[in-house]
Amino acid sequence: MTAYILRRLLATLPVMAVVAVFVFFLLRIAPGDPAAIIAGEDATREAIEAVRAKLGLDRPILEQFALWLWRLAQGDLGVSIFSNLPVTRLIGQRLEPTVALTLSTLLVAVALAIPIGVVAAWQVRKLADRLVMIFAVLGFAVPGFLAAYVLIYIFAVQLQWLPVQGYRPIAEGLWPFVEGLILPSVALGVTYMALIARITRASMLEVLSQDYIRTANSKGLATRRVLLLHALKNAAVPIVTVIGIGIALLISGVVITETVFNIPGLGRLTVDAVLKRDYPIVQGLILVFAAVKVLVNLVIDISYAFLDPRIRY
Amino acid sequence: MTAMNILEVRDLATHFFTLDGVVRAVDGVSFDLARGETLGIVGESGCGKSVTALSILRLIPPETSRIVGGSVRFDGRDLAALSEAEMRAIRGHRIAMIFQEPMTSLNPVLTIGTQIAENVVRHTGVPWRAALDRAREMLDLVKIADARRRIEEYPHQLSGGMRQRAMIAIALSCNPQVLIADEPTTALDVTIQAQILDLMLELKEKLGTAIIMITHDLGVIAETAERVVVMYAGRKVEEAPVEALFAQPTHPYTRGLMHAVPRLDADAEIAGRRPRLQEIPGIVPALNRPIAGCAFAPRCGFATERCRAEAPPLVSTSAGHAVACWETARVLEAA
Repeated sequence: MTAYILRRLLATLPVMAVVAVFVFFLLRIAPGDPAAIIAGEDATREAIEAVRAKLGLDRPILEQFALWLWRLAQGDLGVSIFSNLPVTRLIGQRLEPTVALTLSTLLVAVALAIPIGVVAAWQVRKLADRLVMIFAVLGFAVPGFLAAYVLIYIFAVQLQWLPVQGYRPIAEGLWPFVEGLILPSVALGVTYMALIARITRASMLEVLSQDYIRTANSKGLATRRVLLLHALKNAAVPIVTVIGIGIALLISGVVITETVFNIPGLGRLTVDAVLKRDYPIVQGLILVFAAVKVLVNLVIDISYAFLDPRIRY
Repeated sequence: MTAMNILEVRDLATHFFTLDGVVRAVDGVSFDLARGETLGIVGESGCGKSVTALSILRLIPPETSRIVGGSVRFDGRDLAALSEAEMRAIRGHRIAMIFQEPMTSLNPVLTIGTQIAENVVRHTGVPWRAALDRAREMLDLVKIADARRRIEEYPHQLSGGMRQRAMIAIALSCNPQVLIADEPTTALDVTIQAQILDLMLELKEKLGTAIIMITHDLGVIAETAERVVVMYAGRKVEEAPVEALFAQPTHPYTRGLMHAVPRLDADAEIAGRRPRLQEIPGIVPALNRPIAGCAFAPRCGFATERCRAEAPPLVSTSAGHAVACWETARVLEAA
């Protein structure tokens, strides 16, 4: 197992290398002169040349690439064009809110959606199942930002139970931290929850018609054990896959949700950097997001081997 | 209920409610099972024998089917009157079941040990550790070598025959009074079939479990059963002690089944040539329309107007031998 994990970990290196190459050339394949783009529309020729020299863009492209890779290998993602701060530090500052938001969304979505999906499959074509399916269709159809504004209006403006927007770091206490995360997590998680609930229901329905479920029932086992152990463990592989795919959705969703809720996370950093064409930051963020994706995929792949003993590694 | 009988099934009727109408899968079946006895139920696919078995345990799919009539008395209690929770306490404990497909009947993601031990814990309340000891004991009992290692293994690591042994180990782990075996050897190689049947009979002797052996295979019946119920189209058409059934099969359908079994012995040879196998002409009738007369009449060489109009009652022809046929006299003459 350890060997398998190591092997899979090594296999992620080529993927990350491709991403790194892509990220580097992103700046170069963008239409126009990158130095001119960075210097701005009204820049003088001298100003553009200054930017070019500062970024090392006047040197041969392979030399630039080698230098960039060398720095990357040392964990240096470059310096922001506008603030002159190291990209790693900028990303580090914005990491906590985004990680907190993503994890809390993941937690809320998975913790609610899987039981909902299991109950729907168990009560198939009955009232509970119909309600879940209505929720799933609506939840999937309603965009996250719309859900966010509706939630803010009800729970923050009208009922005043929760803050309208903003983010409080965990260092300021657990409750303020959690309080600020509830609405964004629910808003961000609705689509995701609908997706997981649906796949859980479908996967469970298929498993519940299997012979081994009849065997489990012929042993007189409690319904809870039949559903949660015998059925859910068999239904888990597609569910985990969708949870993994959903993390990619979450990352793009975070950008919008952070903007709506005014949370100073990576999403906001991305929006700001793209608007200002701060390429080093954009490059750094793409690398970080890609690494997260690759890592999530790895974790999912490894989890298959734990869930299903027939999967060989 | 006589004290001798552990199970009494009376006029059991199970219907499936489908888009094509009501399917009378089991249509008024009665039989008794004595303590420690082996009763065979034989018939073609679709004759209702599996549904009968699942109905006893109330395991038929609730979305599509319902037990619409009759009673099942187990050890003096009417199973139909029990709550779902009381029924669950009987399943796997007092009445256990093994299924046709050992490949799909075991849970692929749980170890063999877990699948045996959970039954033991559920019904006896012993701690998990003790239940695993019991699981090892059961694997020894069903002659799976190296039980200590096997309880850690998953079903896909076992051969088909071993999986069926593991199923038997699960079923017998709480010493049930009744074991329902639904085509337990159909999916196995012939050599493995014989081993599994021998094992079941041996354990039955050792543990005193009564067995309902459901099969389409008269060979299995001859080898295991003491008494036989022949089913056709959801009804019982003949019942007899096994020797009587083979010595004098009386219902035309039973005779048809016997003729459809290949024989290798010298008696069967006529002028040095083996006779052709005789198949029963026609197919099992659709069960989604009421059948007026005898369900077998359309396929029967002896059928008369009366057979097609009026369902024959079950009539006793000798001790323990009963047949549902209007034309018994003619059939026996023809033999």
